[in-house]
Amino acid sequence: MVELLLDPKIRLWVFLPIVVITFLVGIVRHYVSIILSSQKKIELIQVQDSQVMIRARLLRENGKYLPRQSFAMRRHWFNNEETGYFKVQKRPSNAQNPMTDPGMMTDMLKGNVTNVLPMIVIGGWINWMFSGFLTTKVPFPLTLRFKPMLQRGVELAYLDASWVSSASWYFLNVFGLRTIYALVLGENNAADQSKVMQEQMSGAAMAMPPDPKAAFKAEWEALEITEHRWALVTAEADLLLQNNVS
Amino acid sequence: MSDSINYEDLGINEAFDLIRKWRENNERKFSEWVLVWEKIYKNLDSRPNEKYIVAEQLLVAMLDQHSYNLALMWLELLLEQFPGSLRVMRYKALCLEAQGQYDAAQYVLDEIIKVDETNAPARKRRVASLKAQGLLSDAIKELVDYLKRFTADMEAWQQLGELYLEAADYSRALFCTEELLLHQPHNHLLHQRLADIRYTMGGVENMELAKAHYCRTLKLNPNNLRALLGLNLVTNNLLGHYKSSGGAKRKEVWKLSRWVHSELGRRQADAHSLTDLMLAISIAD
Amino acid sequence: MSVSLKANDNKPEPIAYSEAALRNNAIVVEYCRTSMSALSGSTAGVLGLTSLNGFAFYMFAVIILWVMFMIKAGPNWPKYYVSRQSILTNGFFGGLFTYVLFWTFIYGMVHVY
Repeated sequence: MVELLLDPKIRLWVFLPIVVITFLVGIVRHYVSIILSSQKKIELIQVQDSQVMIRARLLRENGKYLPRQSFAMRRHWFNNEETGYFKVQKRPSNAQNPMTDPGMMTDMLKGNVTNVLPMIVIGGWINWMFSGFLTTKVPFPLTLRFKPMLQRGVELAYLDASWVSSASWYFLNVFGLRTIYALVLGENNAADQSKVMQEQMSGAAMAMPPDPKAAFKAEWEALEITEHRWALVTAEADLLLQNNVS
Repeated sequence: MSDSINYEDLGINEAFDLIRKWRENNERKFSEWVLVWEKIYKNLDSRPNEKYIVAEQLLVAMLDQHSYNLALMWLELLLEQFPGSLRVMRYKALCLEAQGQYDAAQYVLDEIIKVDETNAPARKRRVASLKAQGLLSDAIKELVDYLKRFTADMEAWQQLGELYLEAADYSRALFCTEELLLHQPHNHLLHQRLADIRYTMGGVENMELAKAHYCRTLKLNPNNLRALLGLNLVTNNLLGHYKSSGGAKRKEVWKLSRWVHSELGRRQADAHSLTDLMLAISIAD
Repeated sequence: MSVSLKANDNKPEPIAYSEAALRNNAIVVEYCRTSMSALSGSTAGVLGLTSLNGFAFYMFAVIILWVMFMIKAGPNWPKYYVSRQSILTNGFFGGLFTYVLFWTFIYGMVHVY
């Protein structure tokens, strides 16, 4: 294999800048998205729905710790034919077009602005600024299949597949640095999360499926087939067993 | 936090670390605040990142000390920085409430709710203010209304359960506590409380359930002396009930009762003094 | 409602896990793994390892990290983790990606030019 010799200036003026630029752009994007993210306005009815769903799920999961009567009473409240919550509450099926909802439109736009746009702009700029350089070599052999992936912008048929062009180096960085962002910005993100937890409510409503009617129906079915097996039936025996009393 | 901290020699950074710890653990230190707050507020400007969140903390601490004027000063600071913030409005209501101006506080809270219908803390604050005024039935009504909207709010269920207990409405208190159990099925204190309520309500069926809950409590935490004593009462009661019918059930209860007695005897021998025992019993509160 | 001894068929006691604690542990492990990948990648790059040697080094680093976790957790590891294998295998490929990136980067810096 013929060794290529690269000019060390490429390292200083192409190879390093791409890494630094990608990294910094990622960080800037993180903070821009924080600035742009608007506090979602939540309808009261939405909160109510999501909370009811949480409660129904908990009843399904942990209902076994309640006595039979208490469990049946709660299920009745949810599922009863005439007055049950899931039967009485009629929600409009809102499988609406996101285009008609201006709030959703802006959210989508913001998502695009922070995610897609920088990719295109920075990617295009790097392609233009640093076009046609071979920047580095991956330290392991690769098959010819990888050539179009790793050697964008350098169309040399006989070049070893391990060489990486500048444009491809940029893309490698974009994908590879994700975990590093989690490392660097992780604490920040965690802090945001815990703040949401402290503010309690609003977070839960986010997870609400878009169509409450279908969700209600699914939850109704799940509750209906839940079998109640009281977990405390053996409490006394367990206790005595634990203390070696036979 | 142990009492070994020497508040006098606390550095500025250490003081800030300390109150951050309080903030994150949601601790409300009445008396300790006085010892550190001077250090904090003098150096507040050097910490622009933390300034306002510390100001919030200071405000509440001042209210705890009944220093209303100082609290209002911090409120001014927050209002200046965040005019129209609902969160600051809530602190305003808090200040009013602390000074006993309940009507004005209610008005502020109503304003908040009008702006943001989903503002759960403000709604809860209303209930708390009613409770502070001693209007038990009003507080219950308000809280029930709140829970119709926010059905999965544990804190609210807990509060409602306590209010019902105060009103001696045991079956409803039971319902609320069971709701808590759905959230935390492995919390021994909840099992214990359920058993307490069941025992208070009386009747054979409730006794059986109380027995099961007490047993689970002791399994989750063998050191829960209150549950052990409760179990003692329950088994005695059940033995009385089954005296006439007899049979297998009575035998089982008898076995449990015997175990409880031996266990209680052992605890008594282990305990060094009466105070230790009393402390162990007070585990519920 | 009666409690019968028959219902107790001596099956192993179900263990209750704290959801929040589990998640926290997973985050910490993930944090360690990313750091380990980055560090070992840089090391491999400085050493100038190529092809299979490099991947063997990654395996070596993963196993070392796992052993370190186990030493740290001590004999009562079930207190902290649900299963030991999952710590070894979880995020293996995510870590590999980070590793390769750092490896390539440092290798390029030191050995290519």
